[in-house]
Amino acid sequence: MLAEVGLAALALAFGAATYAVIAALWGALRHREAFIISARNAALLVFPLTLGASLALLIALMTAQYQIAYVWQVTNPNTPDFYRFTALWGSQSGSLLFWNLLMSGFSFVALLINWNSNRRLMPWFIVYTMAVSAFFLGLSLLLENPFARIWIMPDGSVAQTVFIPAGAEGPSAVRLAATARGLNPLLRHFGMIIHPPLLYLGFVSFVIPFAFAMSALASGDLSTNWIKAARRWALIAWLFLSLGLLLGGRWAYDVLGWGGYWGWDPVENAAFIPWLIGTAFLHSVMIQEKRGMLKVWNMFLIIFTFSAVIFGTFATRSGLIDSVHSFAQSSIGGAMFLFWAAVTLVSVGLTLWRWNRGELRSEHGFAGLASRETLFVLNNVVFVALALAIFWGSFGAPILSELVFNTDISLGASYFTQVTAPLFAAMYILMGIAPLSAWGAGSAKRLGRAMVVPFGLTLIALLLIGIAGTRGGGALFAYGIVMLSGFVALYEIGRSGAARARATGENIVQATIALFGRNRRRYGGFIVHLGITVIGLGVIGSTLFQAETQQTLRPGEALQFQDYSMTFQGIDAGQIAEDGRFMDIANLTLARNGAQVASLRPRHDIYPSTEGQQGMTMIIPGSYSTLENDFYVLFVAGQADGSATFKVYINPLINLIWWGGLILIVGTLISAWPAESAPASVRERRRAKPTAAGVVA
Amino acid sequence: MAPAPWEKAPTSAVSTPARPGRSGRWKFMAGGLLILGAVAFLVLSGTMSGARYFITVDELLANPAKYAGQTVRVSGAVDGATIQYDPEALLITFTVANVPDQTPDLALALHEAVQDPNANRLQIRVENQVKPELLQHEAQALMTGTLGPEGTFHVRELNLKCPTRFTESGPDQSIAQPAEGA
Repeated sequence: MLAEVGLAALALAFGAATYAVIAALWGALRHREAFIISARNAALLVFPLTLGASLALLIALMTAQYQIAYVWQVTNPNTPDFYRFTALWGSQSGSLLFWNLLMSGFSFVALLINWNSNRRLMPWFIVYTMAVSAFFLGLSLLLENPFARIWIMPDGSVAQTVFIPAGAEGPSAVRLAATARGLNPLLRHFGMIIHPPLLYLGFVSFVIPFAFAMSALASGDLSTNWIKAARRWALIAWLFLSLGLLLGGRWAYDVLGWGGYWGWDPVENAAFIPWLIGTAFLHSVMIQEKRGMLKVWNMFLIIFTFSAVIFGTFATRSGLIDSVHSFAQSSIGGAMFLFWAAVTLVSVGLTLWRWNRGELRSEHGFAGLASRETLFVLNNVVFVALALAIFWGSFGAPILSELVFNTDISLGASYFTQVTAPLFAAMYILMGIAPLSAWGAGSAKRLGRAMVVPFGLTLIALLLIGIAGTRGGGALFAYGIVMLSGFVALYEIGRSGAARARATGENIVQATIALFGRNRRRYGGFIVHLGITVIGLGVIGSTLFQAETQQTLRPGEALQFQDYSMTFQGIDAGQIAEDGRFMDIANLTLARNGAQVASLRPRHDIYPSTEGQQGMTMIIPGSYSTLENDFYVLFVAGQADGSATFKVYINPLINLIWWGGLILIVGTLISAWPAESAPASVRERRRAKPTAAGVVA
Repeated sequence: MAPAPWEKAPTSAVSTPARPGRSGRWKFMAGGLLILGAVAFLVLSGTMSGARYFITVDELLANPAKYAGQTVRVSGAVDGATIQYDPEALLITFTVANVPDQTPDLALALHEAVQDPNANRLQIRVENQVKPELLQHEAQALMTGTLGPEGTFHVRELNLKCPTRFTESGPDQSIAQPAEGA
């Protein structure tokens, strides 16, 4: 029954989205209001229907309806309720449905919020958002249906189909439960539970700014209306994508047991590329708002951000690339590739058409090399260069080599570090300089004067870092340019807060808080820059100064490493967890400079082999975290004589990466928070003197 | 009301400077070309030094002289019976069998490769690495390293893919078997 309900809801959602596209297109082209209203109503139905389909699948997962092949594939009788819930996005067809749910949810909210304020754009907005939704719903319905069921055919063979084949009957519930697969053990981690939804949220929410941009092109309303409507959505999408990337790194660090968090894996890169182009868009769009410049460039940036989202999804879900992240080889690859190509070509074609008609001309030219718009453009060039270099290394070079030279090549991590390090350095330098420059005309002399204090602070910090024992010109240079951008952000906040305090008589804290209230976007942006600075410090420290060792210890013996002493107490073997896995846990005590600081329990999670699949052992690290470093230990193996081998990493500053992520969230939320429509004084006057008609303008 | 002194004068945002003159445009063009050149150089040099042939065991063994001393990436099927692991020395050795470059059913190809007594095999040595949980019988090993003069492949980077886990195997005939006690 649940399968039928889910299937019906999915089919109706697909029908509603398709109808909305046709009706909105007809209404927009023929100026028929009734069709546009009808399209809106159909578009608003897509989300509740997709929600219905998702709830049907969720209930099937929670109530162990193993005849539904998806439920059979991602759960088994040992799966705890929590993982039954998260199994909704644990494999291809479920995650595609979940993707549809999020996308339709965003479209639903954006449609309601912007219906009255952007009437001219909305018919085309419906066309674009619903076309994307219809495509993905179609994939779910026709190629990756999560409601397909398992049947025993009349000849005794097993089949997986959506509708009951003639003469087929359902398998026995006992056999279904006995053979059910269960969720991939790698996905049973808190980071992995929320990393995919956040990444999906980041991916799908970019459809909203993209649809606004395309609506502007299609409708001919090329004012800044689409930017005003799209900017906050782009910020939200960017925030989710940032969080998804950070949590993915945290998952890799906690679960994969190699002491790192980023491996330049093609799928990681596929998620990083839209983040880079999206970041360029968020900066570049300010130039269009302030100066009426870069209109074509901004269109291309949002088009290629969304294009990168679709490409990343295609690369992950089609089996195109080998990666621990990728889904199985799937039939959706061809359809997704065609959709990606069509979206990109149509969008680029539309932009070029408007450009050719002279409707996307810049209203100003570049004033000078030290102006803010020039520095922002440079920053854009760096982001786009990073995106292109990463795309080339992950996809371009291997595919081109195969096509042209009939030779398979791959580019390893060394390519990415060699190419991206100088570009990231340029990004941090521009992040430091650009906020101090002025719009329009700016002089290098003035910029130089503004740099004196942050530069001085950076030199002092470098001196302190040197005194603390950090050596190496490269490391100090890297720390220097990253810290410079942070000090610029702090200096700008501090200087503006002090100026306001002097002018208003408020104390410095009140003045600074008020400053954030007055210009959330600017000062929220500085907080984001601070977050990126903190992340940069973490990346430099953990990359350049990671130390590792390994040793076999008998119970009672200790391993000395830097200022840590790790004592092996013994092994708790054969512990049984709630989900049926066995655990061998090593008990360790950790002391630092003679004082005990932690008890660590690195372990092996052993998933026993079940009918139809091999067993699996995962090595889960133990770690002791401080802001200064992480003591990260892997229990490699235990020996028959009771001894055990451990591998230990000390990862300096690695926690700054996660703390920087939190700062980034705060900054983005400040930036994206809706501004007051009028100053407080005006609102107070309005409250005090209501108009005669009782209408507030 | 005069603008508050802590806020940037709005005029700076809306001033309309003249478009850059010819020398200004040259500066921008020269700067742009310089950046393009620098990025192209970075990407090209990174590609030249970072590119590795991605080959099969057959291709490597057919032409060892061509690949000797070069860092290459080799794909093979792990023979589980040959896996040896010294946890104290963090040394892993095993043998992989040749897997064809293009195969519609990876799990089947891996199984057949390991079972085939005539398939070419390559001895693998991985140092200073904890044994990965996915290093199992009939897993696909993607190994980056160099072929030593003794014919052993010395791996610097080992990635494994286990089809039974990652290819989301669908329902099979085992479901149709009668339940025990039924």
